[in-house]
Amino acid sequence: MEEQVGIAWHRLISRFAARRFPEAAVLLQDISRDAALLFRALGGDHGVMVQAGAQSSHGARRSLLERLAGSGFKADLAWLDRQALRLPPLVDVFPDRQLNRDLYFWLAALCAADPRPDQPWLARNQAAVLAVSGDFPGLAARYGRLVAAEIARRPPISRMAPDEARQEQAIRDALQKPGSVAELPAARRPPHPVLLWLRPELPAAGKPRFGARPEPASQAASALQSDKKRRMAEHAEMPERKGGLLLFRPESIFSWTEYAKVEHETQENEDQDLARAADDLDIIAVAQDSKSVAKKLRMSLDLSPAEGDGSPLEGNGMLPEWDYRSHTLKPDQCRVNTILLADALPCALPAHLKRDQQRLRRQFAALQPLRQRLKAQPEGSEIDIDPYIRHLAHRSGAEGGFYLDQRKRDRDLACLLLADLSLSTEAWVGDGRRVIDVIRDSLFLFSEALSVSRDRFALYGFSSKQRSDVRFHTLKAFNEPYGDAVRGRINAVSPGYYTRMGAAIRRAAQILERQKARERLLLLLTDGKPNDADHYEGRYGIEDTRKALIAARQQGLRPFCVTVDQEAHEYLPHIFGKDNFIIIRKSSELPARLPLLYALLTR
Amino acid sequence: MTVTSIARAVRVPSLIPRYTPTGDEIEVFELAHQNRLPVLIKGPTGCGKTRFVEHMAARLGLALYTVSCHDDLSASDLVGRHLIDASGTYWSDGPLTQAVRHGGICYLDEVVEARKDTTVVLHALSDDRRILPIDRTGEQLEAPPGFMLVVSYNPGYQHLLKGLKPSTRQRFVSLAFGFPEAGLEGEIVAGEAGVDQATAKRLVTLANALRSTADHDLEEAPGTRLIVDAAKLIAAGCDPRVACRAAIVECLSDDPEITRALMVVVLAIFGD
Ligand SMILES: Nc1ncnc2c1ncn2[C@@H]1O[C@H](COP(=O)(O)OP(=O)(O)OP(=O)(O)O)[C@@H](O)[C@H]1O
Ligand SMILES: [Mg+2]
Repeated sequence: MEEQVGIAWHRLISRFAARRFPEAAVLLQDISRDAALLFRALGGDHGVMVQAGAQSSHGARRSLLERLAGSGFKADLAWLDRQALRLPPLVDVFPDRQLNRDLYFWLAALCAADPRPDQPWLARNQAAVLAVSGDFPGLAARYGRLVAAEIARRPPISRMAPDEARQEQAIRDALQKPGSVAELPAARRPPHPVLLWLRPELPAAGKPRFGARPEPASQAASALQSDKKRRMAEHAEMPERKGGLLLFRPESIFSWTEYAKVEHETQENEDQDLARAADDLDIIAVAQDSKSVAKKLRMSLDLSPAEGDGSPLEGNGMLPEWDYRSHTLKPDQCRVNTILLADALPCALPAHLKRDQQRLRRQFAALQPLRQRLKAQPEGSEIDIDPYIRHLAHRSGAEGGFYLDQRKRDRDLACLLLADLSLSTEAWVGDGRRVIDVIRDSLFLFSEALSVSRDRFALYGFSSKQRSDVRFHTLKAFNEPYGDAVRGRINAVSPGYYTRMGAAIRRAAQILERQKARERLLLLLTDGKPNDADHYEGRYGIEDTRKALIAARQQGLRPFCVTVDQEAHEYLPHIFGKDNFIIIRKSSELPARLPLLYALLTR
Repeated sequence: MTVTSIARAVRVPSLIPRYTPTGDEIEVFELAHQNRLPVLIKGPTGCGKTRFVEHMAARLGLALYTVSCHDDLSASDLVGRHLIDASGTYWSDGPLTQAVRHGGICYLDEVVEARKDTTVVLHALSDDRRILPIDRTGEQLEAPPGFMLVVSYNPGYQHLLKGLKPSTRQRFVSLAFGFPEAGLEGEIVAGEAGVDQATAKRLVTLANALRSTADHDLEEAPGTRLIVDAAKLIAAGCDPRVACRAAIVECLSDDPEITRALMVVVLAIFGD
């Protein structure tokens, strides 16, 4: 009984302390698409995605209730880094649902505008507010309501010590009259977090730096050694270990690393910055420049020490890779190892696909190849009026071709199907089937259909284990007939490792380019974003894949992507272009839909 | 055999249609006309290509023969054909031949859509020979100084397999049209639709915001035409949000998730 009362009390007090309104909560996932479009509409970069950000500890004084409840150390703030627009996973700070929703859009707009990112927190945010509300009256009106709610939410000035009260007053003035406050008065504590503004100091430090002097830093190494600090920033992207292989890693690590490396390179007190940031963020970071730290991390992330450095690989036929941070196509970055699956046993089409096979054969045989109208033929199915009238006009018997004829035009096209065989295809899709099973069936039915239409096609699969080992499985080459041997290889496909998409596309493009055909289609079948166990992650992988596709298009190839990743609309438009991909909502439908899709694409 | 011309949709406007220049396109067009050079106009949909040609035709006092090209348009649709009536067969000039015979601007809208053989008849006409051979009648027409060939196309919809051959492209003086700079577009919208400057400015902000999502979320950026249409609805008393939905958002996408997100942008500007 006593215990129960205790729990109830804790809940109650936590709720009061947090001043949250669960009944008015708005989830990021429900508005992320709208926020992303708004972000782009206001000039935000097309390459970044909307993602939930980690909470930031603010260091401000907590209320008595919060102290009683042991909560309130951290706040959900918004920021933009190279990878993503980070928004709170959930907003329930205001009593009105509409206000919580508006806060999301307001933050997305602020991140997109942000005209003075170089300025200290206070000046920067006032400038951003002015920029947004000047151009967007609708947002300005909402900002007015948000400010009222935010001020109502903030701790009362009357109960503050004089220095903190002055500081708080300045914040409120800046909120109400953006542009009016030049400097934040000093106080013993940082101010209470401002939910309507961007997170202080982008994007590394969790603890706000308010333009004051940097605090003394701890040692980078010790910060990272402490195991308690090995907490990840992203709940959504917690690494999963399957068979000793790291499946997904939090992108924040990489954004942070990239930031640390790229933005801090020139700073003298780099070590200190790194250390403080690491300390504050509660995440591990791969500090590439700091050797001792890096080594430790590489061990824990299964990276071999030579992988991360980007030095060219030895050997022939290495593929380049695009580094978006330096805007360069780095030569000889990836080694592609062709794998033949020589020991796969030939087999017949699996029994469960027999019915689909028959249907597809009918459909593809009935799919009329394009017909062409030939004019002024000596014989044909219809009369060609034009030459006939000409004949009458001239009253000459010389012209003889008065007929229109229909002729089948050769479908002069070659298609290369490239299937993602990364470990993520091991995921279950229901009915006791995994993504890889769906991909395998798709490869079977696709081949059945194309062997009826007699279009030239090839099948390849890929996965990767860092840049020195991009595995490229030959399932069917262009000049091979589709038969039991090929079926055996399709039957033998299994989930591999990671998804170094850019390299696989470059290799596929090389093969397809050698085909002489009027139209050459590069069809990519996948279940997720590009990623690999090194720096090939997040934005890096996305931009590299995009570049590989631009190059393929310049070679006259036509890339198209079929994906079962329901989140793909966040990144595929940027990679493939708006109309060059399709998301299959129910992955179990992929095998049956793929051939029809192909028929549509090549009509 | 008699050779007759039948009346076509020729416009010789009495009033000069309003056109606000966004650069030096008027001067270039006039100089091209003086020097008997054909003109190619490229630009996204609704950016004022047609309006510009109408304006220039009226300004130069030339008749305008407009042909909207499509993928079944053949050379004889442009040049002309024999027709039959009770008295027998007779020749009927196509719009291109009419313009060459009588002088005037022949404007081929969306030329890339036309069949390949149509561009061939343009070749002798668009270089310094300026002749139109009509092999059906054995005539060889020489274009008078008042004749001018103008073609337009939208590079956005370029097909993989369609597109102008370099030998065609390089015969034309080319003008690239884009969306006017914000201040100017505001004036155009206010002038065309009769809305106040503030509303016009907001509409242009909206257009530019939506334009920056093109490629990622939209197939094609919204043109000035959509903005003018929305402005006309607003001027007639429609609620701006309703007008923007009907005249802009729903014209840009059929995907309900996208139109919902586009409305968020509309509300960022026209929300109370
Ligand atoms: N510079 C301009 N001056 C005046 N009006 C303009 C101008 N640009 C665009 N407009 C307005 O935009 C409308 C659409 O322009 P127009 O029909 O010329 O577009 P277009 O470029 O021919 O488009 P499409 O490629 O779809 O045919 C016009 O009716 C006019 O109201
Ligand atoms: Mg037009």
